[in-house]
Amino acid sequence: MTEPLVTFRNVEKRFADFVAVQDLNLDIHEGEFLAIMGSSGCGKTTTLRMLAGLESPTQGEIHIGGRLMNDVKPHERDTPLVWQSLALFPFLTARENVEFGLKMRGVEKAERRRRALDWLERMDISEFAERNVDTLSGGQKQRVALARSLVMEPRMLLLDEPLSALDANLVIRMQGVLTRLQKELGITFVYVTHSQSEAFAMADRVVIMSRGNIAQVGTPKDIYRAPANRFVAEFVGRNNILSGKIDTIDSDTVSITTPAGQFTAKPPAFAIQSGQDTSFVVSADLVSLSRTAPDGGNKVQATLISEEFIGSVVTLFLESADGHEFKVQMQERELLDLDLAADQSVWLSWSAGNAHILEGG
Amino acid sequence: MPAKKSIDLYALTWRVPIILWQLLFFVGPVLFMVAISFFVVKNYRMTEAFEFVNWQKMLSRSYFWDSYWYTLFIASFSASVAMIVAFPAAWALAFRASDALRRWAVFLLIIPFFTSYLVRTFSWYVILAESGVLNAMLGFVGLGPFTMLNTHFGTVVGYLTLTLPLAVILQTVTMANIDKTLIEAARNLGCKPLATIWRVVLPLSKTGFIIAALFCFILSFGDFVAPFYLGGSQEPTLPILILDTTKSGQQWPRAAVVAIMMMLTLFTIAFTAIALAYRKPKGAK
Repeated sequence: MTEPLVTFRNVEKRFADFVAVQDLNLDIHEGEFLAIMGSSGCGKTTTLRMLAGLESPTQGEIHIGGRLMNDVKPHERDTPLVWQSLALFPFLTARENVEFGLKMRGVEKAERRRRALDWLERMDISEFAERNVDTLSGGQKQRVALARSLVMEPRMLLLDEPLSALDANLVIRMQGVLTRLQKELGITFVYVTHSQSEAFAMADRVVIMSRGNIAQVGTPKDIYRAPANRFVAEFVGRNNILSGKIDTIDSDTVSITTPAGQFTAKPPAFAIQSGQDTSFVVSADLVSLSRTAPDGGNKVQATLISEEFIGSVVTLFLESADGHEFKVQMQERELLDLDLAADQSVWLSWSAGNAHILEGG
Repeated sequence: MPAKKSIDLYALTWRVPIILWQLLFFVGPVLFMVAISFFVVKNYRMTEAFEFVNWQKMLSRSYFWDSYWYTLFIASFSASVAMIVAFPAAWALAFRASDALRRWAVFLLIIPFFTSYLVRTFSWYVILAESGVLNAMLGFVGLGPFTMLNTHFGTVVGYLTLTLPLAVILQTVTMANIDKTLIEAARNLGCKPLATIWRVVLPLSKTGFIIAALFCFILSFGDFVAPFYLGGSQEPTLPILILDTTKSGQQWPRAAVVAIMMMLTLFTIAFTAIALAYRKPKGAK
């Protein structure tokens, strides 16, 4: 693999006595769509602001394109940012907003006008070019903000929750616009969000942050199916997490005893010992449900408590004899076929290959 | 048939007193002053008349126009100085100071207004006099003494005493309300730190700054104390001209002409400034 576009090496950012980011090590590759996700205060925005030079790290090194960037001023960088509030200049028209960065770079007047209009055209808002930005709708403003950053032809675009102010329909539309743009331009997008659906829908890789640390880096699928630790497993939701003790370790299965019964999981990439406390996770949609006990495999008997209907998919909440809550996700029509009643006792089962042991118990 | 509009007694109770007050103590006197400007003075006695002689006499005299342009110039100059001198302080208070420090600063800037302006003006005598504090200090480094009282410099110092704290307060309040993200956005798009003042801070502060400058101008333009006591009235400003005119031969009608000219000037400037301050940006509906 070629050298990464961005490297964070042991980066720490401290505000007075609050540590926003600590010991951050991360590579961002040329041309990837990277989402940084976490709840508020996890350090994701601080990380993005350090990339833009709006904060400088208190420790460690940030390199962009091989150059040490720790003390490079924001205006000397090529890292345009799309702000959560969009931060369009209210005293300028849409076109003048898009031209702003080019003007600062000393691009000649006719040339910058042409490039600005090109981008407004590309974003489908050329008819609003001479309108003041305050007269535009949320979606149109969003497009002006994107055009203002992309007209700079950067190697990397930074986005700080740019869709959080839009309504649900528009979010889906803009997600399409963003992924298409990223593919067409082939530049790196670094996208900060608290929304799992945005991150998973668009990103090639997702970074999950918690309290200033990286909890996991991986493809959306990795993170969803094989969360590395308990925090990620809980953060991505709709998972069943079971805790217990490791019994025996074979080459292809690990046997774990939990209060809900004895189960098998696939051996993890990290070292484990028999007798140690552990947890494993099974995605809610990989658990099967039947009225009669299946033969062999991982199974547990549980009682149906409630169901949550969201369109074609339903989530069932069940309780095992020891009081553990299980979640099962399935198609609504599959559920109809099973013809279940409330308080009915059913069997849950899953294959050992779908049970992932979490690092750190 | 539309119902006859009933008279809302409650609303009237609140409205009538202020309307009466304004009619009695503002509109009335102004109209009376306009009337006086057409009166004539004979044997040191003012008599009712309707003649244009006062207007003709005043507006054809070069001493009136000298005084008019001088007042316009020195008030504009002093307002500009106030706005420029206030800016660094206001900028620091708006963008660098903590909220607590800013609150204290605004409070301290209001304190000068507790004391009479006349008293504050007289205190400059001690500082600016030939044998005053400033010349004594300059003497230590082998400079001076400079004549600072009864000069244009003295007049401007007096005006600034009145306007500078106000300029700092208005500028601070204006800039403190700017969305800081816009400044960061400008930096992010390649704008150098100092250039953000021209590119972002000033355009965003336009309304507040024009109002602040207007206040500085109005207060200086109509001020009598500073040019009289610190400027020495060698070059009379319009307020001093009014006083002189009333003293010399009881020419109240001619003084009224000067006063009306001042009011017309202030109306024009204030109206233009406010129109500029609230002008919609390009492309706004």
